[in-house]
Amino acid sequence: MTARQPILEVKDVSRSYFENGKEFKALERVRFDLHDQDFVCIVGPSGCGKSTLLRIIVGLDRPTTGEVLYQGRLIEARNPQVAMVFQSFALFPWLTVEQNVELGLEARHVPPPVRAEKAKKYIDAVGLTGFENAFPRELSGGMKQRVGLARALATDPVLLCMDEPFSSLDALTARSLRDEILELWHDPDLPPRAVLMVTHLIEEAVYLADRVLVISGKPGRLVAELEIDLPRPRNRREPEFYGWVDDIYSLIV
Amino acid sequence: MAASRRRLWIVAGVVLVAALVVILLAPPNASEARDLGLLSVYSLTRMFAAYGIALVFAIAYGTTAATNKKAATVLLPLLDVLQSIPILGFFPAVLLFFVTSFNGSALGLELSVVVLVFTSMAWNMAFGVYEALTTIPHDLEDAAAEFGLTGWLRFRRLMFPASVHKLVYNSILSWTNGWFFLVASEVFAAYGTTYTRPGIGSFIARAGAAGDVGSIGLGLAALVVVVLVVDALVWRPLSGWADTFRIDVPRGETVRAPRPYERLRWIPRFPGMWHRVSARLRPVVHAYDRASIRLERTYARHPSVPKNLRRVDLVLFLVVFVLVVGAGLVGLAGLLRSPPPDATQIPNAALSSFARLVVAYVVAIAWTLPAAAYVGRSARASRVLTPVLEVFASIPATALLPLIVGFSLAVTSNGGIGVQLASVLIALFSMQWYLLFNLIGGVRAIPGDLTEAARSFGLRGWTYWRRVLLPAVVPSFLTGSITAWGAGWNALIVSEYLPFGGTVHEVTGLGALLNHATFVSSDPKLLLLTIFMMIVVVLAMNKLLWHPLAKRASVRYRVEVG
Repeated sequence: MTARQPILEVKDVSRSYFENGKEFKALERVRFDLHDQDFVCIVGPSGCGKSTLLRIIVGLDRPTTGEVLYQGRLIEARNPQVAMVFQSFALFPWLTVEQNVELGLEARHVPPPVRAEKAKKYIDAVGLTGFENAFPRELSGGMKQRVGLARALATDPVLLCMDEPFSSLDALTARSLRDEILELWHDPDLPPRAVLMVTHLIEEAVYLADRVLVISGKPGRLVAELEIDLPRPRNRREPEFYGWVDDIYSLIV
Repeated sequence: MAASRRRLWIVAGVVLVAALVVILLAPPNASEARDLGLLSVYSLTRMFAAYGIALVFAIAYGTTAATNKKAATVLLPLLDVLQSIPILGFFPAVLLFFVTSFNGSALGLELSVVVLVFTSMAWNMAFGVYEALTTIPHDLEDAAAEFGLTGWLRFRRLMFPASVHKLVYNSILSWTNGWFFLVASEVFAAYGTTYTRPGIGSFIARAGAAGDVGSIGLGLAALVVVVLVVDALVWRPLSGWADTFRIDVPRGETVRAPRPYERLRWIPRFPGMWHRVSARLRPVVHAYDRASIRLERTYARHPSVPKNLRRVDLVLFLVVFVLVVGAGLVGLAGLLRSPPPDATQIPNAALSSFARLVVAYVVAIAWTLPAAAYVGRSARASRVLTPVLEVFASIPATALLPLIVGFSLAVTSNGGIGVQLASVLIALFSMQWYLLFNLIGGVRAIPGDLTEAARSFGLRGWTYWRRVLLPAVVPSFLTGSITAWGAGWNALIVSEYLPFGGTVHEVTGLGALLNHATFVSSDPKLLLLTIFMMIVVVLAMNKLLWHPLAKRASVRYRVEVG
């Protein structure tokens, strides 16, 4: 454990907001590491600052105190090796599926033929073959999130961050998409090397993650870090599964 | 970004020059009925020239106001004022300025027409861009930042597309405003000379002066045809194209979501027309993209260049701004210290104008409310009547002027009352359509299940109106009222000073006073004071009456869908 350099080191990160001269603390001294091949879920009740944490890690926000290191280097701006999947999908309604997927590559000035090839690969990978020229408004919620996923993967991220990626979907769609995420994750040919996901559903975290970080309270503090050693594929009806869910539940309440 | 804006301005300049060349080549004596086709082309060229400049202005102004906080502190209040003051207040002054500085030449006249039409189009479009850019969902901005969109690419992929929908819809409104001003500015009289530029507006005015009812009808028919053809070939397809840029607010499934009122639904949309056009233009746009990105990379290697350019822009802007505002304040102080003798007329004139607008407004409400309730609720009535109403609405009130004045003078025995009637009617025709179509939209937006719930409880007649219909249309009624009053103030200048059949008929009012101060007594002090009075009255009405009302209505009477 000690020899390997972590992909991500979150070091005593705190974030405060100032409103009318009053300080409002969202996060306090959160500290954890993320290693190669980690699938980590951050669980917490709404308003505990877990999305703020993710935005800081991605480089969209800055910590008030503390620091985030990516492969040993300080994150000061947007990190091109990190990609993000949004709860609301955040697809550009005026771009087709293919154009949305190519967006991150376009920003890097990747030549159009390479872009198209790569987009096709990931559109196929998420099962949207044939929808390349559709507009987001023509797709169902599950399909939209697949586009969001393909868009993130197409940038070859080392770290994939997902902010409540299934919360805007109905329960059945969310369930099948979770399994697909795991399939993609276990495919050795596809990025990323680590996944960090935020969710408020404890079951979802226990189902997906190798490690669960529990954040709770106001301001949000890291209250526990649990290795979920259940064998995969996991069965939600097993008593061990529920044991974990209950443990985490009692930590939050 | 600054560099992209500068290049947009160059495009606008080229458009303007090309348009001017076309209209300056117009034979000045084309005024027969058989020339109507040609005259329409001249009028349209002016419209498109003004629109092209307004478009570039709107994008530049809107993006700057939305992205540059420092500039926004000046740009936003300025836009607020420009948007709400009756531009026609400057109408005589602008005309006179261009005519005298170009010695009455065609170029000066054409420039004044284009500038006036521009001022009637630009503000509401600029505001649309600003509004669209400031309401981009945060997630979309985050995604753009997260995937590394900066500079030109950010403008092309995020900001421009995000503003297209609002921009197109506000453009349609601006275009309608433009016709109103165009018709009014193609012919005007100053110091005993009548200045004319060939066009549909001047054709109708000339026919009106000659009392040639047949030619008036012919001119109006040509105008309606031109307006509708442009609507069918440009605005309808364009609004279909703009719909792909709509940002959908995610919402639950709704049962019987009402089909909203959509202007010109009966005109074919030529689906895909603008998609095809934009596909054709794609190579050009891509080349432009590549050039822009290359330019940006060059700038990135010399970071001081864009910074210095931006500084130059800002300094220039501030210098102009300070000069204009300073001159205005000094001038005003001087005026207030020694007011011209006619200044005592101003309060009385303002009161008369206001009273006339109130009469027109009340009459407009009296007929549009029941009409909207009928058209909005019956699908069949809507199918038959909406096209008819929209055709009538497409005629700018300024084009109806000869007919209205002739009619008013004919039906009244007393000339004074006839002119008053004409003045009120012109105001009515300027105001009523905004009320009508906003109200129809409001009635149609009442959710189906609300109507059904009302019916299941047995609400009918007056109770239905009081409990369902009237409260539900309050927000659209207020929107319509604000726009209608804006149009009404603008109409003053043409409705109170009516050159007709060789003589000028006028009534007491701000509009008449403005015309007098410019064209008859040439009294710049009186002119400025009158404009100032007009701005004060209109701003006071907007800030103290409409805005508070609209704000309260948006909370109290908003109908939640889904």
